[in-house]
Amino acid sequence: MLRRSLIILASIFLANAAYAQGKPVLTVYTYGSFAGKYGPGKTVEERFEATCGCDLNWVTAEDAGSLVGRLRLEGADTKADVVVGLDMNLAAEAKALNTFAPHGVDVKDLSLPIAWNDDTFIPFDWGYYAFVYDANKLPNPPKSLKELVENPNGPKVVLQDPRTSAPGLGLLLWMQQVYGEKAGEAWTQLKPRVVTFTKGWSEAYGLFMKGEADMVMSYTTSPAYHISAEKKNNYKAAAFSEGHYLHVELAGMTRATKQPELAKKFMAFVLSEPFQSAMPEGNWMMPAKVPASGLPASFKDLVQPQKALLFTPEEVQQNRRAFTDTWLNAAAR
Amino acid sequence: MKLPHPGSLVAFVIVALVAGGFIALATVSGEGPTSLSIGPYLRRVLAFSIIQAALSTLLSLSLGAALALALARRRFPGRDLVLALLGTTMVIPTIVAVFAVFAVYGRSGWFTQALSFLGWTDSFSIFGYPGILIAHVFLNAPFVARILLDSLSLVPAEQWRLASALDFKPSHIFRHLDWPVLSAELPGLAGLVFLLCFKSFAIVLALGGGPSRSTLEVAIYEALKIDLDFGRAAWLSLIQLAICLTLTGLLNWTLTRPPTAHTIRGLIKRPDARNGSLRILDAVVLAAGSLFIAPLALSMLSGLAYISDIVDADLLRAFMTSVTIAIIAATIACISALALASSARRWRVALRSPRIAAFYDFLPNTLLAVPPFALTAGLFLIVRRFTDPSAAGLILLPLVNGLAALPFVYRSLAPRLLTAEERYGRVAASLGIAGMNKLAIMDWPLIKRPFGAAFALAMALSFGDFGIIALFGGQELVTLPYLLFERLGAYRLDEASAIGLLIVIVAFLLAHASGRLSHAGD
Repeated sequence: MLRRSLIILASIFLANAAYAQGKPVLTVYTYGSFAGKYGPGKTVEERFEATCGCDLNWVTAEDAGSLVGRLRLEGADTKADVVVGLDMNLAAEAKALNTFAPHGVDVKDLSLPIAWNDDTFIPFDWGYYAFVYDANKLPNPPKSLKELVENPNGPKVVLQDPRTSAPGLGLLLWMQQVYGEKAGEAWTQLKPRVVTFTKGWSEAYGLFMKGEADMVMSYTTSPAYHISAEKKNNYKAAAFSEGHYLHVELAGMTRATKQPELAKKFMAFVLSEPFQSAMPEGNWMMPAKVPASGLPASFKDLVQPQKALLFTPEEVQQNRRAFTDTWLNAAAR
Repeated sequence: MKLPHPGSLVAFVIVALVAGGFIALATVSGEGPTSLSIGPYLRRVLAFSIIQAALSTLLSLSLGAALALALARRRFPGRDLVLALLGTTMVIPTIVAVFAVFAVYGRSGWFTQALSFLGWTDSFSIFGYPGILIAHVFLNAPFVARILLDSLSLVPAEQWRLASALDFKPSHIFRHLDWPVLSAELPGLAGLVFLLCFKSFAIVLALGGGPSRSTLEVAIYEALKIDLDFGRAAWLSLIQLAICLTLTGLLNWTLTRPPTAHTIRGLIKRPDARNGSLRILDAVVLAAGSLFIAPLALSMLSGLAYISDIVDADLLRAFMTSVTIAIIAATIACISALALASSARRWRVALRSPRIAAFYDFLPNTLLAVPPFALTAGLFLIVRRFTDPSAAGLILLPLVNGLAALPFVYRSLAPRLLTAEERYGRVAASLGIAGMNKLAIMDWPLIKRPFGAAFALAMALSFGDFGIIALFGGQELVTLPYLLFERLGAYRLDEASAIGLLIVIVAFLLAHASGRLSHAGD
C-alpha cells in the first residue's frame, strides 16, 4: 500500500514536470484563490502561454502574508520567477527581503486612484475596502465611518483580526486615517457592536451571509460578485464620506530568476489587456489598467469613493505595531 | 556493533526534528528575536488560554465519560452508526465547526429561533466562553466517549462473570470494573484534549468575540506571517511547548496507567443494564448528548445540496492527493508509534526502568504542543538544504501530518503491546523469540486490529488537516481542505460547505472502519 501510494504521489508530481519538458517553465507564486477554479489564474495562464512559448506554473500559498513568509524562508534559492498577489501593506517587508528585482515596466496611464512610481512592484488590480450590507435588511446604512463608529444603536459588524488578515489590517489603517490619535477611543466606541474579529476574510464573510451581522468588512467590489454570479442586487457596499482605504495588489519579479527575459515579458503582460480583462470577474477587483473593452456590467453601479485613504508601505511598516497595540488596548477590554 | 532499538531511533529522530526545526527558525535571520518579553497582553491571553482549555477539557471529559458509560450499558439499533459518528467530530475542519456552531446557536440559528418561538426574546450571545466551549466540547467530547467506550469493552469477561456471581450492585460495578478503566484512560485523554484546546486558533478568534479571547498560537502566527520575526515565533513556540509539557507532564506524573491484564473479550451482557435508575440516567445522558451533538452535526448536511456542483476533475485529484497523503501520514504515525511503544515496553518490563519508559510514553504528546506552523517553517529550513524547495511540501505535508497523528495512534497501540507482553512475554522469552520475530509471532496477532483501527484514525486526522497547506499548497498539492479554503476565498460558500461535508463523510467512513476493527474480538 505504501509503495503504491508513493508511486501515485511521485506520478502526480512528475506529471507536471514531464509536461513542461522542452519548454521553459515560468514559476509564478500567488495566493490560493487566484489560481483556483474560480480565480483568474487559468485564464491568465492560457493567454500568456499562447504568446510566450513557455509553460506557466502556479505555486500557491494561502494568502499574501504566507507568500512573503515563504519567500523569506526560501531566501535566494526561491524557485519563484514572478510573485503575483502581494499588497501595499506588505510591500515594505517584501522589499526588505531583497528578493525582488526592478520591474522595468512602463507604469504610466494606470487606472489607479493614486500616482504610481514604484520601480520594484507593479499594481495588477485594486479595490477599496468597504462595509458590505444586505439592503433588504438594512435600508439605511451609515453614511460615514464616524456614523458607524459613533452611533450606539448602529448596525452590528463582523470584522477581521488585523493580526491575521489583510482586510483586518485595512480597517485598522482606515480608522487611523480617519481618527488619528483618537483611534483608540473610536475602537472603544465601536467595540460593543463588533460581533467578532475573525481569523480571515472568509469566516467574516460567511458569518455575514449567515445573518450573524448587519455589515461585514470587505471590498466595494464584493457586490459585483453577487450581481454577476448570483443575480442578486440586494448586497451593497456603503459609501463613506471620509473616503475609503485603498487596497492595491502587487506583482514583482525576483532577482533569483533563471529566465529574466521571460519574467520581464510576464511583468509587461500583467498590465496588458489579456491579463487585465481577467481581473474584474475573476478576482473581483478593479483592473489596474482598464482594458479597451471596458468594465463588465456588474461593475458599472459600484460605489465610487470620492477619496482614497492610504499610508505608504514604509509608514505601515513603522507604525503597524503601535496601531495594533492601540487596537488591542481598546478592543481587548 | 549492535543496532539501536528502532524505538530509540524514532525517539531520536523526533527530538532531532523538533529541536532542529526550532534552532533553524530561531537562527535564520542571524539576529535574535526582537523582543523576548511577552508583555501584559500575552500574559492575559495565556491565562485565558489555560482557563479556556481546562474548562473545555473538563466538560469534554465529563460528557464523554457519561456518554461512554451510557453507551456501554445500552444496545439499540443504529448504535454502530452512533459510534462512528462519535469518532468523526474530532476531524471536522475548524472553519466547518465554526459555521456549524453559528448555524445552531447564532443570531439566526436554530436554537435561538426555538428560544424565541418559546417566548424567550432576550438576546442570547454565544460569544466568549459559551461559543468557545460549545465548539470545543462538540469536537472533543464525542472522541473522548469513543476512546473510553473502547477501553470499557476491554474489561475481561471473567471479571464480569465474577461480578455476576457476587451479585454486584451498580455502584460496585462502577467502583470495581468501570472506574479503574476510566481512571487509567482519563489523564492521557485530558492531556490530549487540553493541548488541542490550548492551541485552538480559528475557533477561539471567531467565537471569542474580541482579541481578549485569543491564544498564544495567534501571536506565533502573527510573528511568522506578519512581522516575519522568526526568532520571536520560535521563542513564543518554546513558551507554548514549555507550558503544555509542564501541564500534561503533571497529569501523567500524578496518575500513571496501571498495567492492564486483558484476557478474554467478548460481548458481555452487563448486569447493571437492568437497573431501573441507571436506565433513567442513561436515557437522560443519551438524550442530552444527542440534543447537543445532533443539531451541530446535522447543520453540516446543508452542504448536501451542492455536492453535485463540486464534482469535477479538480475535486477528484484533490481527493486522491488527500488520500495518498493520509496513507503515508498514517504509515509514518503507526510505524513510529509501534517502535516507540515497544521501546517503552522494553524499558518498563525487561529493563525495569519505568522512568525511561515514561519518557517514551510522554514523547508523542510533545508533538501536539509544538505549533504546527512553526514546526513546518523550521523543518522547511532544514529540508531546503537537501531538496528542491518546490518538493519540500511533498515531504513535509505527510511528515507533519504523521507526527500530528502520532499521539493519538500511540494511545491505542501502546496498551495493547503491554497486554501482549503480559500474556505471552515469558513464554516468548523462554523460547528465545525476540526482535522482529517477537513482533511478528507474539504481538502482531494481538495488535493487528488495533493497528488497523489506529491507521484509519490517523488517516482521518490527516484528511481533515488544513494546517501546513497554508504555506505549501500549489498545483501538485491541492488537498480537499485546501480546495475548501480556495472556494471560500472566491465567495463560493455553498461549494465550501459541500467540500466540508465530503471531508466529514470520509472521516465518518474511516471512523466506522476503525470502530469495526477495534470492536471485533481478538
